[in-house]
Amino acid sequence: MAAAGGFRTVEPLEYYRRFLKENCRPDGRELGEFRTTTVNVGSITTADGSALVKLGNTTVICGIKAEFAVPPVDSSNKGYIVPNVDLPLLCSSRFRPGPPGEEAQAASQFMADVIENSQVVMKEDLCIVDGKLAWVLYCDMICLDYDGNLLDACMCAFLAALKNVQLPAVSINEETGLAEVNLKEKTPLTIRKEPVAASFILFDSLLIVDPTAEEEDLATGTVTIVTDEEGKLCAVHKPGGSTLTGAKLQDCISRAVTRHKEVKKLLDKLIKSKKAK
Amino acid sequence: METEQKRFDSGDLPALRRILCEQGLLSRPDGSASWIQGDTSVLVGIYGPTEVKVSKEIYDKATFEVLLKPKIGLPGVYERSREQMIKKTCEAVVLGTLHPRSSITIVIQVVTDAGSLLSSCLNATCMGLVDAGLPMNSLFCGVTCALDADGNITLDPAMKQEKEARAVLTFAIDSAEKKILMSNTKGSCSVEELQQCIAASQRAADTIFQFYRDSAHRKYSKW
Amino acid sequence: MAGLELLSEQGFRLDGRRAGELRQLRARMGVFAQADGSAYLEQGNTKALAVVYGPHELRGSRGKAPHAQALVNCQYSMATFSTAERKRRPHGDRASAEMSLHLKQTFEAALLTRLFPRSQIDIYVQILQADGGNYCAAVNAATLALLDAGIPMRDYVCACSAGFLEDTALADLNYVEEAAGGPQLALALLPQAQHIALLELNARLHQDHLPRVLDAATQACRHLHALLDRVVREHLRDAAALLGK
Repeated sequence: MAAAGGFRTVEPLEYYRRFLKENCRPDGRELGEFRTTTVNVGSITTADGSALVKLGNTTVICGIKAEFAVPPVDSSNKGYIVPNVDLPLLCSSRFRPGPPGEEAQAASQFMADVIENSQVVMKEDLCIVDGKLAWVLYCDMICLDYDGNLLDACMCAFLAALKNVQLPAVSINEETGLAEVNLKEKTPLTIRKEPVAASFILFDSLLIVDPTAEEEDLATGTVTIVTDEEGKLCAVHKPGGSTLTGAKLQDCISRAVTRHKEVKKLLDKLIKSKKAK
Repeated sequence: METEQKRFDSGDLPALRRILCEQGLLSRPDGSASWIQGDTSVLVGIYGPTEVKVSKEIYDKATFEVLLKPKIGLPGVYERSREQMIKKTCEAVVLGTLHPRSSITIVIQVVTDAGSLLSSCLNATCMGLVDAGLPMNSLFCGVTCALDADGNITLDPAMKQEKEARAVLTFAIDSAEKKILMSNTKGSCSVEELQQCIAASQRAADTIFQFYRDSAHRKYSKW
Repeated sequence: MAGLELLSEQGFRLDGRRAGELRQLRARMGVFAQADGSAYLEQGNTKALAVVYGPHELRGSRGKAPHAQALVNCQYSMATFSTAERKRRPHGDRASAEMSLHLKQTFEAALLTRLFPRSQIDIYVQILQADGGNYCAAVNAATLALLDAGIPMRDYVCACSAGFLEDTALADLNYVEEAAGGPQLALALLPQAQHIALLELNARLHQDHLPRVLDAATQACRHLHALLDRVVREHLRDAAALLGK
């Protein structure tokens, strides 16, 4: 045991290759296997929608808060969705204090891109009064425990939290012109698309699914595929790294489509049990 | 309308926009390039390999740093994510292990953005790296494809075409095996459309690599 | 009299508790894998998460670090969705900077920092949902996380708030009671030796009443100590059972 631990520290690449030769990974998974995913929704009552997702050890909590805002000038019938991914000091010792690092910013931008690409919620649905009042949904994703595959966990937490959002009814008082919120009448959001992400790492021309932080450090490249329920691609995100053929990419996509089914089943079951209560 | 020049004969595919490139135009950086693709224009300066800050030092390879400067204002989250993509693309191509514990800084200044900005940045970076004489295992180029509502592919779209498109896909392709180094998508598309775009980009990449070769040839045959 | 009646004639508070009664406490230790110590704690609707790293080598500037003992580095942050009104900055504002400093002072009093010279202990606390007594929940969660990390301490640190209303001392205030603006006292206690690690009083209180409020807070801390102790013992029993097999 101690010898294996030492080998792992000194020769991490060789250690990992020995496992791959046997078609398995240090944590006992097969190459195409995702870690156990658990989702918990609505645990934060101060938020309008919230979800906690655990993907193996990786834990992400997403809280959505809705606020009023004036719609943008160029499209007066739209609201806003503002995603933000936070990697606080507590999630891993690898992050340094200071302003958000590169990874957090890249993840925030990725989330914003996917929301824009997939049209998960029509921004028109968030408008209350044309040109005057609209909802802005602040979606804050906080990583509580960092063990790789941040994007998948964020995406899943975001979608689950979005399904959990209950917006109060708003009416405009004719006399005063002020908005009145009726907290008793709450409606869920209309979710048009359900994007689900699947991430892979490239290692010695192998594709490995759902990497841990250790595997991500060893990998020569990552790929994240986001698909919706019709199997359409919402994002093919490969930020550099070693090369990939079209055929290999096809493999990733088909794996992502199966992953979508798994996650959708999980979320549907959760929502159903929540409703039954 | 920009002047369009048919650069390759691939049947029904529309051509890339006019490309202009000048290497070594700046005196301070170790390598520099100006890349003009249609009306999109970017300027790149490469510094390195040089001394690295101790906190960023990597013991067995070079530390890459990419700074993308927008035309106006300060770089934000959008620029950071593009920087990350360009950085990781360079890391895969440049033989960083030959320069351990040193830094390679790539500064990209956007001069005008008239569509296909990310691919222009990638092309400019590659030309800059070549000018800096950094050892690389292959060249790379960026190609942007726009898919319109009918599923037609427009290569190297201008700003207007990009805005009207249903999906815009950008790939970085290496010169050795024509494989995909980087991919970034905006909008949604089907799997078949993705594969078509990859194939179209790979064909367009040949044109760009030929352009690289021609410009290098022209540059060195002057002396 | 304001619209809300914080204490009914029968002596019940808004959430149905008696004056000296604590809110329900739920806690778990060792919730995360890669941290050296971690704990999750709920005090009523206040939810806090604490993570501990260390002792490890010093990071950042060595200039300000004490040379004969460990540097205790604390960061307190509140999730943007933790309060009724969305917070703009999770940490780095003055209120959280003050809270981070309070945490640091509290744990410098409790940790045996002299055992680890030239090293650093990081305590990070994240408030996921705030409903009053944030400081207290942060301290209690951090205590559990430090115990989980196995860092030597003089004693548990138990923290509880207390207020004073209509001639009655109230223990463990919730958000509504805090916001009412009455006197409010936060106490961090090392319960075995009855040493006070931190004591803070906000708003005006007649000195004749102070002993009663302090007493209520001390009692509450003692109760918390018993509760936290049970959590730790249960956690250890579970861990030991796993190792035994």
